[in-house]
Amino acid sequence: MIRSGLEFDRPKSLEANAPPELGGRARDSVRLLATGSDRSSHHRFGELPDLLEPGDLVVVNESATVPASLEVTSAERTLVLNLCTRYGPNLWLAEPRWGVARPGPVPMRPGATLSAAGARFFAVAPYPGIDRLWFFRTEGSVGDAMRLAGRPIQYAYAAGSFPLESYQTIFARVPGSAEMPSAGRPFSSRVVDRLHARGVGLAPIVLHTGVSSLESEEHGPEEPPVYPEPFDVPKETAERINATRCAGGRVVAVGTTVLRALETASSHGRVVPLRGFTTLTLGAGRPARSVDALITGFHDPRTSHLALLFEFAGETRVRSAYREAVRARYLWHEFGDSHLIWRERAGS
Amino acid sequence: MKPAPAADRPLALVTGASRGLGATIARLLAADAYDLVVVARASAPLAALAGELRSHGGLVVEIAGDVSEPEVRRAIVAAVERRGRLDLLVNNASELGPSPLRPSTQWSLDALERVLRVNVVAPLALIQLLEPYLARREGLVVNISSDAAIGAYPGWGGYGASKAALDLLSRTLAAELRDRSVAVVAVDPGDMRTQMHQAAYPGEDISDRPLPDATLPFWAWLLGQPHAEISGQRFRAQSDHWGTPP
Repeated sequence: MIRSGLEFDRPKSLEANAPPELGGRARDSVRLLATGSDRSSHHRFGELPDLLEPGDLVVVNESATVPASLEVTSAERTLVLNLCTRYGPNLWLAEPRWGVARPGPVPMRPGATLSAAGARFFAVAPYPGIDRLWFFRTEGSVGDAMRLAGRPIQYAYAAGSFPLESYQTIFARVPGSAEMPSAGRPFSSRVVDRLHARGVGLAPIVLHTGVSSLESEEHGPEEPPVYPEPFDVPKETAERINATRCAGGRVVAVGTTVLRALETASSHGRVVPLRGFTTLTLGAGRPARSVDALITGFHDPRTSHLALLFEFAGETRVRSAYREAVRARYLWHEFGDSHLIWRERAGS
Repeated sequence: MKPAPAADRPLALVTGASRGLGATIARLLAADAYDLVVVARASAPLAALAGELRSHGGLVVEIAGDVSEPEVRRAIVAAVERRGRLDLLVNNASELGPSPLRPSTQWSLDALERVLRVNVVAPLALIQLLEPYLARREGLVVNISSDAAIGAYPGWGGYGASKAALDLLSRTLAAELRDRSVAVVAVDPGDMRTQMHQAAYPGEDISDRPLPDATLPFWAWLLGQPHAEISGQRFRAQSDHWGTPP
């Protein structure tokens, strides 16, 4: 796929730059665009249960966001270290930055030492092919350092800084994501209760997200810097997905993180229990077959997420839906509006 | 940087360490605060690597020799014995066979025996000798395999057979050593731009293959896994996922 194939026009003003609840609105009050085989329809997220059928299964990511951004000192300098992924008890992949809004690469050499709140980070090696990410051996408690001094990773478009709670979904249970698995953010206990009442199931996976800042700024989808993310598809969830599809129900993935985990754990048309790290890239030429619909935010031009969506639901359908979203002034980014999109073949 | 106290530092042994994948793994381990015993036939590049590894502050013992020779293995055991324990054994040293590779019917039997001695007999000999030291640390054995163990690629019969044997030995040893808390895995690192790969394709351009450091994230992951959960498995370092059934 050529990069120009992933362009579209979206006015800069269509960005949510603060959580709705800080403006006194419920999380499930964000808008929900539903795209099937016909044209898209407009809803509030709270109406999601009405768009699903008894016997359907919604799969959610239970990963909780950690305060992964640390101010660190190195020699005479003060830097920011965004923790990306925990590889082992004392080994992390992380992104040293000049500052919150000033990305690297920061020149590093093996053995360089960064310190923050009782934890020390020793540079081990750069991530192959991505000079902004380094492996660090750690001494002291990284968990304590994050609790004492860590802040959620933030990007320039957000208006001000928000508490960690703003970056947790209602499903957050297992700490580990550097950035919020944001597709689950509009879910409220009211929506969950109504899904149960309607006979729609909920099943969990875990996938811990890494840092995303590297992607759209530096690389196009032709050469996305794909690095592994930890995931866990439990036995019960794999069994419920297979049983749902056997019985003619539909499986709805909440977020591309869920899709990535389930596709990694797919084997011969079934989902199997599996945990580990995945670098699986979905997109052109690698369609997703394990689910029937995806709930996700609105994605920027030229991103691998958009390439994934084109493959999942068909480029014509996605372009048509995005034109409608722009016309009706839907909001982009992780505090923004939501999109329920059915797989092209599902067509219902 | 200040090295961690020696008593706390894990010890790793890497064979075939002077270049290619072995050097990549040794460099990662040294930077990750392991002490190292590095083994290779070529003494000059081995000495250069050992000097580089020492800059990380840890202890590095170099042993120049061929792992298929019993006296070299005795020297390896003596080096480990001084520490009294071993955390990680990486059986990486491998013999390709004739270059260029040729159909199995045309392999000399001497070449086949040499491949089996280096790729199968030597790793097992080291495991036999070092198992007591590994058991003291709930250690991990990594046997470097190849997709040729499965692929039936013309020309690769002798090498592939040796790696298939090593794969089965790895699984068997994992079952046998589970009670001793020693874990054993086999790892297919995938195609890489190494001297051995070039020897398999003399005169051909192999620059499209990734350098061995493409496997660094896999090793970083593997070293962090609970040993009991990975023991007995075969991993592909350049696969799109590394996983274990729960």
